[in-house]
Amino acid sequence: MSEDLLVVDDLAMHFPVTRGIVFQKQVASVKAVDGISFTVKQGETLGVVGESGCGKSTMARCLMRLLDPTSGRITFAGRDITHLTRTEMRPIRRELMMIFQDPYASLNQRKRVGFIVAEALQVHKIGTPAEVKRRVQELLDVVGLNPEHYNRFPHEFSGGQRQRIGVARALAVNPKLIVCDEPVSALDVSVQAQILNLLKDLQRDFGLTYVFIAHDLNVVRHISDRVLVMYLGKIAEIAERDLLYAQPKHPYTGALLSAVPIPNPELGRLRRAIVLEGDVPNPIDPPEGCRFHPRCPRFRPGHCDVEEPQLRAFGAGHGAACHYPLERWPMSGEEIRRADEEAVAAG
Amino acid sequence: MAVLEVSDLRTSFRTDDGVVKAVDGVSFSVERGKTLGIVGESGCGKSVTCLSIMGLNNRQNTISSGEARFNGENLLEMSSRKLRTLRGNEIAMIFQDPMTSLNPVHTIGRQLVEAVMLHRDVTKRDARLRALELLKAVGIPRADRRIDDYPHQFSGGMRQRVMIAMALINEPDLLLADEPTTALDVTTQAQILSLMTSLQEEFETAIIMITHDLGVVAEIADDVVVMYAGKVAEEGTVDEIFTRPYHPYTWGLLGSLPRLDADLDRLVQIQGSPPSLLNPPRGCRFHPRCPYVMNVCRSVVPELLPVSHSPQHLQACHLDEETKDQEVQKLLEGTLAEAS
Repeated sequence: MSEDLLVVDDLAMHFPVTRGIVFQKQVASVKAVDGISFTVKQGETLGVVGESGCGKSTMARCLMRLLDPTSGRITFAGRDITHLTRTEMRPIRRELMMIFQDPYASLNQRKRVGFIVAEALQVHKIGTPAEVKRRVQELLDVVGLNPEHYNRFPHEFSGGQRQRIGVARALAVNPKLIVCDEPVSALDVSVQAQILNLLKDLQRDFGLTYVFIAHDLNVVRHISDRVLVMYLGKIAEIAERDLLYAQPKHPYTGALLSAVPIPNPELGRLRRAIVLEGDVPNPIDPPEGCRFHPRCPRFRPGHCDVEEPQLRAFGAGHGAACHYPLERWPMSGEEIRRADEEAVAAG
Repeated sequence: MAVLEVSDLRTSFRTDDGVVKAVDGVSFSVERGKTLGIVGESGCGKSVTCLSIMGLNNRQNTISSGEARFNGENLLEMSSRKLRTLRGNEIAMIFQDPMTSLNPVHTIGRQLVEAVMLHRDVTKRDARLRALELLKAVGIPRADRRIDDYPHQFSGGMRQRVMIAMALINEPDLLLADEPTTALDVTTQAQILSLMTSLQEEFETAIIMITHDLGVVAEIADDVVVMYAGKVAEEGTVDEIFTRPYHPYTWGLLGSLPRLDADLDRLVQIQGSPPSLLNPPRGCRFHPRCPYVMNVCRSVVPELLPVSHSPQHLQACHLDEETKDQEVQKLLEGTLAEAS
């Protein structure tokens, strides 16, 4: 359990913004991912949360080498994969698979399910045709589909069933790591529960490692061992699951947690939500200093908007990038501001 | 007084494959200043209920019956002309996707002004002032400048605010919100929900909130209707539905929700998927997926009856109350047997 399967070191992905038609010159860059480092251990699930536009999916695509990162290093199973060519990358793709968000767009609607699931096996030249067929039927069975549906087309399945096909496809070549990019966001709650249970069962049975991206904090809490909170291309906070949800240190994590609707009217009424103002700023021109400062209830002029906070350690494996971390939890927005003033008064 | 009283609403669509009974005998009512939440999986008839009330279904292939009394008048029997004067005026609607429900080639100011001038005899200047007032009320920063922007210049949350401004501009008595926050981030969702509740207090609007997110319902609804396959499975106040639910489908929905306030290793899952309404199951429509299924469920349609301890809490299930109380207890402790 302690082996680091994936090590990401100072990963950055900047997209150029160009002007001009013939002579394109770069006028700015979108810093979608801007210097993040983390590790994923063998057999664990790392949850990644954040609002839309904070760089979660770009990070996933960098991990898969679907995008070439601007800088930084990705080490997978002890091997640096950051600068491998397509051919060098191919054998590694067997061990690194992805499940996508939209079960409608991520399956080729002109191909039969059997072909879709078997494609990875064929690319990697694994098994004879008979073995491939047996393997596909076995996979369909594993993900809870009828193996007889081998010859059907994706449109004959419901959203949840299609997501199961996506899972079967990812499992086909026995990967070590699966990057799940919002795999349940497009599904109904009941179907979402089926897929989450399936992913958990598969992890137990096959010793899989997941990087699980979602914007739903409830889902991430349910499935993850550790959680990483992203904001505008940077890590705001990273910690063990229980620690993060019980004692968040970053005000952004606090705000996210308090914004999650609780399906319990009594508790909901007692809770004091911190409503964040505004949206995620434009990553072309991120705010100076701490990127969260324009929306932060704890913002202190002259410090937060000047100096960028580094990831600080709060006990084993718990880090948060904030100058004025939360002292306790839960707190209301009002209390957060007040505690801050006290801190200022105390010097 | 009830702003809207729906009784025995039935909507069917004629399709090439046969008649689809999308809504099959649904009744509920909403009071002034209250919020009714309608929950259920996709395809259970939530949106069709809403569209039928607004008279927005295609008249060519739709058969509607029953009653939807809005301030005493039956909306289902109203002429198109009369309905048009009501829509956007006394009844307003917010849709799920704020990008496709705003016109991309007109500025939001023009669209808001149009909404006012259609129903009020005011000058363009006054209508614009009113539009500006509403944009400020929904919290659009620098509203006096943003009013001349096009929809694509706004973010998703901001667009949904514009939609809310447009819906409330004529101070409607009834607001139908069809999954208004589903496409938004949690932080934006929290902003929109708190905006809706504060505006509701100000204008005393009755809201019907359609959603599949039980968390949202718990947060803002006063009463809840749980729909399954075009029928009402359970109906009651928000506290009753969340603390003493009496229908196995509601248990399934609650159990399948990963939540911050409980630790579960495995989620309860409802097996299978909702039935086709072209050919719904006999008896109780939930029986093929229900873990408590009995013989009677397969043949007799359960009636929507009040539970013994509370006359306002209605449920349609054959299971006896004693078993239900035990199962509810298990559900709340997080130990409910997986539906299989």
